[in-house]
This record gives sequence, structure tokens and C-alpha cells, in this order.
Amino acid sequence: MSNTSRWLKRAVAASAVLALGVTLSACSGAGGSTANSNRPENVIHVAVYGDAGNTVEQAMVDKFNATSKVQVILDRIPGANYQQKLQTIISTDAAPDVFFNWGGGSIQPFVKANLLLPLTDMIKTDPALESSFLPSVFNAAAIDGVPYGIPMRGTQPVILFNNKQVLTDAGITAPKTWDDLLASVKVLTAKGITPIALGGADQWPTLMWFEYLFDRVAGPDLLTKAIGGDTTVWDSADGKAALTKLKTLIDAGAFGTNFDSVSFVDGGSPALLRTGKAAFELMGSWEYSTQQTADKAWTETNLGYTGFPSIADGKGDGADLVGNTNNYYSVIKATRYPDTARDFLKLMYSDEFVQAQLGIGNLPTTTTTEKFLDQAADPAYATFQFNLVKDAPAFQLSWDQAYPQSASADMKTAVSQFFTGKLDVAGFISAMQAL
Amino acid sequence: MKRPTTGRSRHSGGPNVGRPGFAWALPATVFFALFAIVPLIGVAVMSFTSWSGLGSPEFNGLDNWNKLLGDKVMMQSLWLSALLTVLGVVIQTPLSILLGVWAAGQQKNRAVLSAIYFIPLLLSSAAVSVLWRALLDPNFGIPGQLAGIFGGDGNLLGSQAGAIAVLTFVGAWQFTPLHTLLYQGAARSVPPVLYQAAEIDGAGTMRKFFSITLPQLRNTIVTSGILMVVGGLTTFDTVLILTKGGPGTDTTITPYYMYRKAFQSFDFGVGSAIALVLVVIATAISLIMVRATGYDKMNSAQEGI
Repeated sequence: MSNTSRWLKRAVAASAVLALGVTLSACSGAGGSTANSNRPENVIHVAVYGDAGNTVEQAMVDKFNATSKVQVILDRIPGANYQQKLQTIISTDAAPDVFFNWGGGSIQPFVKANLLLPLTDMIKTDPALESSFLPSVFNAAAIDGVPYGIPMRGTQPVILFNNKQVLTDAGITAPKTWDDLLASVKVLTAKGITPIALGGADQWPTLMWFEYLFDRVAGPDLLTKAIGGDTTVWDSADGKAALTKLKTLIDAGAFGTNFDSVSFVDGGSPALLRTGKAAFELMGSWEYSTQQTADKAWTETNLGYTGFPSIADGKGDGADLVGNTNNYYSVIKATRYPDTARDFLKLMYSDEFVQAQLGIGNLPTTTTTEKFLDQAADPAYATFQFNLVKDAPAFQLSWDQAYPQSASADMKTAVSQFFTGKLDVAGFISAMQAL
Repeated sequence: MKRPTTGRSRHSGGPNVGRPGFAWALPATVFFALFAIVPLIGVAVMSFTSWSGLGSPEFNGLDNWNKLLGDKVMMQSLWLSALLTVLGVVIQTPLSILLGVWAAGQQKNRAVLSAIYFIPLLLSSAAVSVLWRALLDPNFGIPGQLAGIFGGDGNLLGSQAGAIAVLTFVGAWQFTPLHTLLYQGAARSVPPVLYQAAEIDGAGTMRKFFSITLPQLRNTIVTSGILMVVGGLTTFDTVLILTKGGPGTDTTITPYYMYRKAFQSFDFGVGSAIALVLVVIATAISLIMVRATGYDKMNSAQEGI
């Protein structure tokens, strides 16, 4: 055998081995026709984010199937990378008829690709599909004014949690204003306590600080404009003021120095709060159940919670919220049984559904929720959250979900680099403008 | 009475002795073509398209490539990949040669110790990374508890240098056993007659190691070197789990950046372009290594004995 052909073989072999891992997954699921004749008969598939909350969804499905000719099949998709799995199957014949999502940017690419069914007709037939829900929540799943999602599960506002014991020992109270927070940081750092626990390794907990600062200082319009394409707002005086305020907090040592290696998902930052190594943590309402799983007795006596402090000279209301407005069910255009899907969605505002969700610690956003609050897993916490949501003039969807998924990775990188000081105010602004 | 069929075997002498025909390679070739060559072509085509996973890919000419050329993170990722690879080779090679030669001895205690030492090899990279991530937690892990030794706040993954050191260490912890195994096997196959002759000539332990063992391990060094380089360039899971490419983009190596583009940002076009860059670079490097070391001549290390 000649040397050249041996060379060639080796070259081909080596490239092939490398390419294998790369491409096997990248090549799946291209195209696919969406004509509904290819879809399964007499069943509709409902895809949900797989977690502990599935018990309620399964109960609803069982109840529905008892009377329906077309059966509902609940597909539990294991939580990690839900969005990626969804994106892989949604344009194929294997797409679920109805699927769980976060509204906003999480469904926008699907709407653009003309895959989702506008719910306008369903609502015309059954107006309660819209009127049973809090409007601010319902509208977060409307794209260009057209509704594409029906709220399900619950709302998850971001709340400032604290360790009551640590606050008492330090002689401070939960901050009502930004200046209170800065003063508390000073007291706590002097005592050697990390003022605020932050799971910086996950990056999305860091993002929550930006969401609140921009809302309080610049008002909720800034992000709406930015997502709408007007990226100059990042460079506005308000935008800069928000970043400067945040920078002051970071430089005051509010987050300690090692937040970069701490993760919420691994249980790092909740443990800091629980063990008294940190005094505060800004986190979604699920912090409560996370702490409860880790130490039930401690959570009941020592976990304090308040809304985010107000900022005196800012444009945003001190009662504004950020977080996951809600989870939604959306329907794909290719579904064979839109009427079945509609009937199934009607269950989402039934009393039974609301009670079941409250029972497992979720907070549904129907207009009827209030009268069932005393049946919640923890009535005081549920009432606190419900009032926050009800009284909020604006509820900003988390940036990583308001933006299309494609912007999320770069956004999170910019956010974490700003916290470590690698990006300055100008650098952060140009990173956000490049999204 | 039957006579053994001799017709065929008669022809098997001559220059083609022991070399089966192409048919023998067919199953592997088909498998390869289907699962390696075809996807590779797919990736090459896709690198000239824009595709988010929804709808059909659309050709966009050289857009992806132009984007990559101006992408600071991409350029940085190539340097980081190179750095991690070089660090891996420089640290793992001497360690595994020494350990392998030591483990090649027939003593019982060596057998027991090397068996224990091979355990990391049995664990998946994902498990290894999760384990180290927990051990290196700044507040509840080893650095947090032994602040005196590690100094400061235990934030090992919080700086670029620290994160690279951790990745290199974990890589070495996991893969040195594999290379040790290679060297152990190679060291055992060195003919004892060479050592005996050297002893008669009065050579000491050091002399025997540098003049006999090392030269005899030459082919193994090349094999293990290629494995390390290609493995280093395609490292992914440890970065994904330990650092997520961070802090910031400080440990975003090329394969991780490819994943981020393709599977987090759903930009499969740019992801494919990065993949193609990786294929070309890794192929070139392994070809150069094979060529430069004369490994492709496949000469026996025992020539002349």
C-alpha cells in the first residue's frame, strides 16, 4: 500500500471519529411535515415539565379522560433542558398537541415559525378561558396581542428571603428601601457575615438582581422597548444609573467574594442562608420549598420573606415584581383535535385544579384563587405571594425567558462578567445591545 | 475417508499471507460511513446555513464563518483548548510513565496499589466532575474547610487560573490511570534480555531507565500522546459540569462553545462551523504527530534484537 493512500485513510478516519460525537445529535429532527393526518388518532399528547408537580396534572388528565372520547396522554419530559427537547420535536409529527411553557420569549420562536394555534377562537367560544385569570398573568403569553397560552400551575415571583435569626443577631430588620439594604450590608460585612447569598455559578440567580434594579430605577418600560428592538435604551441615563447602583452594592461586598463558585441548583446558596453564613437571598418563590425539603422546622421559624426594596428616585414602582409570571399551556396548529384541547384547557380554571395546585405549594393565578388561600400548604406564605402579585402594577417576566432562547447564553455571560468586574458599565451595555 | 480440503489454503502463501481481503473491513466501513462520514458531510453543509432547529435550514453563504472570525470568544476558546491540552500532556505523561514503569514490576504490593489506582478509570467523566464539583464547593467543600491551606475564600473556580488548574487536575486524576495502564503493558513487554545485558555492562537503575525503558516506550509515548491531544481538544463534560465555561467565558473551550452555540442558543449553523474547525484542527494535529514521530512506519521497537 502506498504511503499517500494510507495517509488519506488516516485523515478520513480521524476526522470521522471527531465528527461522530458532534453531529449525531445535531442532525436529528430536521423538517417534518405537520399535516394533521399524520398525527395520532383519538389521542392528544400533553407535554409537561417533569417534576413533583406532575401529580396534579396527572389527576386532571385522569378526570378529563373519564368523560372524553379523545383521550389525553400526559408526557412528562424530565426537567433539565426542557426547552431544548421541545425545540427538537415541535416541528415534527411527534410534537405534543399541548405543551408546557413559560410564555413570552419561550414561545415566540414557535409563533414566528407559524407552529402555534392562536387561542382567539377558543376564547370566543368560551370567554372564561381568558376572564378567569389575572390579566397581567394572562397577557404575558400573548405575542403581538394574540393570546397563545392558558395559565397553568402557578406564579413564581422573585422574593427577597432572609434568615430571621441572623437579622435579629445583627440588630437589623428586612430592608424596605435600597438605602436600608446598603446599611444592612455594612453591618453584616463588619460582623463577618456574607450579606447576600448568590448562586453565581448558575448565572440566572445573578440575573434576578439586574431585573429588579432595572425595574426599580428605569421602570418596566425599558425592557419592553429593548426586546422590541430599541437597544438604545440600555445606553440611557436610567440604564446607566441602575448599573451604577448595582455596582455600588457589589463593591460594598454584599455578595462576598466567592459567589462565582456557589450554585443554587447544587444547594450551595440555600445552605449559606440556612446555616446563617449569609443573611439574604434573592430567589424565586420556590426557595421556600427548597428550604422546606432541606429543613422543615428551620423554614417554619426562621425563613423570612419580603418584596424587593424600593428605590427612592427611581421610575419603577416599589411594588413591581419580576420572576416567572406563570407557566402556560400552548396548543400547536397541527393538532387534530383542537376542540378536545380547548375542553382540556377549561380545567385550568376549575376550582378543583386551583385547590390541588395550592395543596402542593403552587400559587395559581385564577380570579378564584383568593377564596381558597386558606387551603394552601402554607397559608401565610401563599397569601403573602398572592397579595404581591395582585398588588403589583407590573410583573416583568425573567429576562432569560422574555428574550428568545438564542439570546439567553450571551446575556447570562454578560451578567456574570459584570458581577466579577470583568465587564464595566459600558461593556455590559454593549453586550446587551449585541443580543 | 475424507481428505482435508487443501485447494484454497494452497493459494494463501506468497506476499499476501495473513492479509484478509477488503470484505473483512466492510462492516466497519459501512458503520463508519453511516455514522461518521455522512454526519460530517451534514455538518459541513450546515455550516453554510442558518438554522434554529425549527423549519428548514436556509443557506446564508459565508455568514457563519465571518461571524466566527470576528468572534473574540471563539479565538480565545482555541487558545484555551490548546492550553488545556498542552497542560494535560505535560502533566500526565511524566506521571504515567513513572507510575506505569513502577507498576510493571511483578511484586504483590504493586499489583494491589495499581488496582486501587485504576479506580478513577472506572468512573464516567460526568460522575468524576460532579464529585469534584461537590468536593471543591467554596463554602462546604475541602477548600472552605481548609482555608489555611488553600488561602482566601476557597473560590477555586472563581478565577481563570484557578479554574484551569482545577480542570487540569481533574483531567489528570481521571486519565493518568489509563495512560499508566498503557505504559505498564509496554514496560512489561520490554525484553528482560536488554536489562540483563545492561547489568553486565554495569548500568545502574537510572541508566537502565533512560537508555532502555524510555526508548523502548517510544511507540507507547506516541500512542498515549495522540490520545491525550485528541482527548484534550474534545474535552467537554468536565467543563460543562465543573465550570460551565466560566467564570464568564474564561474556560469556554472550543467544544463547549460549540455546544453553547448549537444547543443553548439554537444557532446550529455557527455550531456546525465550530465543529468543522475542531475536526480540521484535530485531524491536522494528529496527522502531524503521526508523521513527525515516524509512528506511521509501524516499526517494531524490538528491531535489531
